[in-house]
Amino acid sequence: MSGTVITLGPQQLALEEPMYFSVEVDGEIVVGLDVLAGHVHRGMEHLVMKRNFYQNITLLERLCSLCSNSHPSTFCTAVEELAGIRIPARAEYLRAIADEIKRISSHLFNCAIIAHIIGQGTLFKRVMEVREIMQDTKESIYGNRMDLAANCIGGVRYDLTPESAVYLGKQMERIKGPLEELYRIYATDHAIRTRTEGLGVLPNRDAINYAVVGPVARASGIDYDVRRKSPYWAYDRLRFQVAVEQAGDVRARAMVRLREAREAVSLIEQCLVDLPPGPLCSDTLPEIPAGETIAKSEAPRGELIYYLNTDGTDMPVRLKWRVPSYMNWDALQVMLKGQRVADIPLIVNSIDPCISCTDR
Amino acid sequence: METRPVINPIPPVRLYRINAGSCNGCDVELAATAAVASFDVERLGCCYSESPAEADIVLITGPLTLRVKDKVLRLHGEVPKPKVTVAVGVCPISGGVFRDSYAVAGPADDYLPVDVNVPGCPPHPRAILAGIAKAAALWRELSGCGQTLPEPAVPGSYDEDAAAPLGLRGKMRFNAAACVGCRMCEHVCAGGAIRIDELGPGLRFTLWHNSCVFCGLCSHYCPTKALTVTDQWQLSHFQEDKFSLTEQGFIPFVACTGCGHIMLPATPELLRVSYRKTNPEIERLKTLCPECRQKQSLGGIRR
Amino acid sequence: MIDFKEKVSETLSLRTGAEVTIEWRINIKGVMTGWCRLREAALILPAAEAVAGLEGRLSMITAYLSDSAKQKGVREIAFHFDLDGTTLTLGIELPLEGARIPSLTPLFRNADWHEREFMELYDIQVIGHPAPRRLFLDRSIDPAAFERLIPYSTFSNGANSKALWEKVMARSGNNRKELQ
Ligand code: SF4
Ligand code: SF4
Repeated sequence: MSGTVITLGPQQLALEEPMYFSVEVDGEIVVGLDVLAGHVHRGMEHLVMKRNFYQNITLLERLCSLCSNSHPSTFCTAVEELAGIRIPARAEYLRAIADEIKRISSHLFNCAIIAHIIGQGTLFKRVMEVREIMQDTKESIYGNRMDLAANCIGGVRYDLTPESAVYLGKQMERIKGPLEELYRIYATDHAIRTRTEGLGVLPNRDAINYAVVGPVARASGIDYDVRRKSPYWAYDRLRFQVAVEQAGDVRARAMVRLREAREAVSLIEQCLVDLPPGPLCSDTLPEIPAGETIAKSEAPRGELIYYLNTDGTDMPVRLKWRVPSYMNWDALQVMLKGQRVADIPLIVNSIDPCISCTDR
Repeated sequence: METRPVINPIPPVRLYRINAGSCNGCDVELAATAAVASFDVERLGCCYSESPAEADIVLITGPLTLRVKDKVLRLHGEVPKPKVTVAVGVCPISGGVFRDSYAVAGPADDYLPVDVNVPGCPPHPRAILAGIAKAAALWRELSGCGQTLPEPAVPGSYDEDAAAPLGLRGKMRFNAAACVGCRMCEHVCAGGAIRIDELGPGLRFTLWHNSCVFCGLCSHYCPTKALTVTDQWQLSHFQEDKFSLTEQGFIPFVACTGCGHIMLPATPELLRVSYRKTNPEIERLKTLCPECRQKQSLGGIRR
Repeated sequence: MIDFKEKVSETLSLRTGAEVTIEWRINIKGVMTGWCRLREAALILPAAEAVAGLEGRLSMITAYLSDSAKQKGVREIAFHFDLDGTTLTLGIELPLEGARIPSLTPLFRNADWHEREFMELYDIQVIGHPAPRRLFLDRSIDPAAFERLIPYSTFSNGANSKALWEKVMARSGNNRKELQ
């Protein structure tokens, strides 16, 4: 079998970020794939060793704008774990709220891109407009549409006043209808189903083998969500369903994300009801002792894990993290094999890959 | 009734985007200027182009990593002259938080001519539009097209005086009178945007907005809130102003009324933080250096 | 819980043929992590087999080089595995010079990227990796980037900041009025 090798860049892949694939094709069919990473490599794991813990909060938030809150919050959790700080109850809820708001925005962005690739221009714009509800929410509560600056070591540095809590509640009311509508469209629209059903399948056994995480794993029947398996912040007191689908195709991955967006609204509403009073942050600047620890969270794309190693100074000896996308790229080998070249962009975007996260 | 031609007679100015290794924040906001009605670039008489050869304005995001440098320069070279280049976000302007990494080649203007800068991290879509409007005006001038911008469809959608969106984290303001020179802001700043120099009779504070990522951490940790977040977000500017976009302040040293030693003044804000209320005794103590203050306080104790 | 802990250390001991002790920590949320130092670097392969037998998943691999380890002439790698929510970290020590470890990719296929990554950042050789090419670093960057750059060289540390700040300071104080 004589394969031709073609290189695909961000334009052909419909990606916002520079990532290149070397694809082996036989006629119109994909037979092999190599991911050419590193274009957004900014040496961040090296930079964090030259910066102190405070600077790293802001630096890590710039790892990736789509899951920007997951990084500082998980990093702070690691620092707190080492320093033996228990963050105030109110901060536990406020961290969960920030993460869930980001999850809705992130999932909607992917949902929009999928519509764009399928050629549904009107739906693409509609999803982007719905997403604006979340963008406005972030801007009004946190001051920026992408980077929330919500975290500090020992808790959070934003609060919900009675007024902003009411506002957030109203925004949740506003987005419920559109989220239901989008769920219905993606579940039932004939054109979307034809393009997504049975496409780019990742069978359960391969999902386990490739050790994928997040919506990609859950769409292939793996019932794993860090919020459930290793609870953190307020998640041990919140009720939610882990969205699991069995088909493992492009459609299942989209459905998982849309279900999670709806679930996130419910989580935010529960937080608003249960939000305990009290301080936002432990009030002393902590000493960070020497030691090592792990912190994990469920970022929009799945399990995020941080390893922190310290020596008693205010800079990490080593700070290493593994983002969810890192685990999911390789599984494209399975999803793309035997598929048409024309379907590559859709299948690639169905794993909601994050390049800036992957490259660091 | 007067009828107007439906079609805009002015050909649109074409924009080409290059991601030079960004966190994707600026790119996602650029996507908003293509997809979201209230931020639509078409209102500026612009449109996006997929091909560099068919573009007039280049929008660059990201700090210019070593890995993409050559590709970026090649694409930028393919855009025909006269072209106008806009650096979107602090990454291409100054390297932002990624400056001094072994993997970063930027700032972008070390390698290619930049005309307009849009600070922010990421900048608000409206700030990006304001930068694009500047670039489009410049391009029209350079290319001799001469036409001016169409009136904005929604007033204030990109003009400089538009009200800030609610609660926005804009540029930082420094109040020298409240600063106690503790340097906590400099310590926590990931952008390396703050510098405090000892300069003869006092401390000189400088904050460079083109390096700032608007995180507000300096303000959060400032004990006297000498640094505050404002809602000023319209900071797009031409390249010639790149290095003068600063916030400065001077904190003069004073002489201790006890021993004459040079020291930093105790600001009213600090006294308020430490004592809540001031009284004549505190007012007197504040003119003393820590050593004299200690002596005085000890001397003041009567047994 | 006790059963789980015992099962993990027993399986590890059995496979590695050495007494393996794991320090278990439970945080305020009741989430458990296990920490274990393997006596010899070569034990990582049988230990990883044991984890695979327990249906563990490779979560991350962290290579690192602390000053204190360097003084002892060693370097370290931490292998983090997920056991259904519990993270088990197996640490090994390697010599500073000529460090070699067996590839875990045949056991856990997602070790592939981790191994390629730490090979380009540190001076460690992975034996038996199916395709030991570069992953992220540009060709222009020397191998073992973290080791060459951590001792602050003038090449990449602060040189850029310094140049930029000189320009800022040269301009500030002058025509700043109109920008206020
Ligand atoms: S300026 Fe900020 S938001 Fe924009 S790419 Fe850089 S880090 Fe991301
Ligand atoms: S807001 Fe303050 S801490 Fe944050 S980057 Fe700007 S100057 Fe630095």
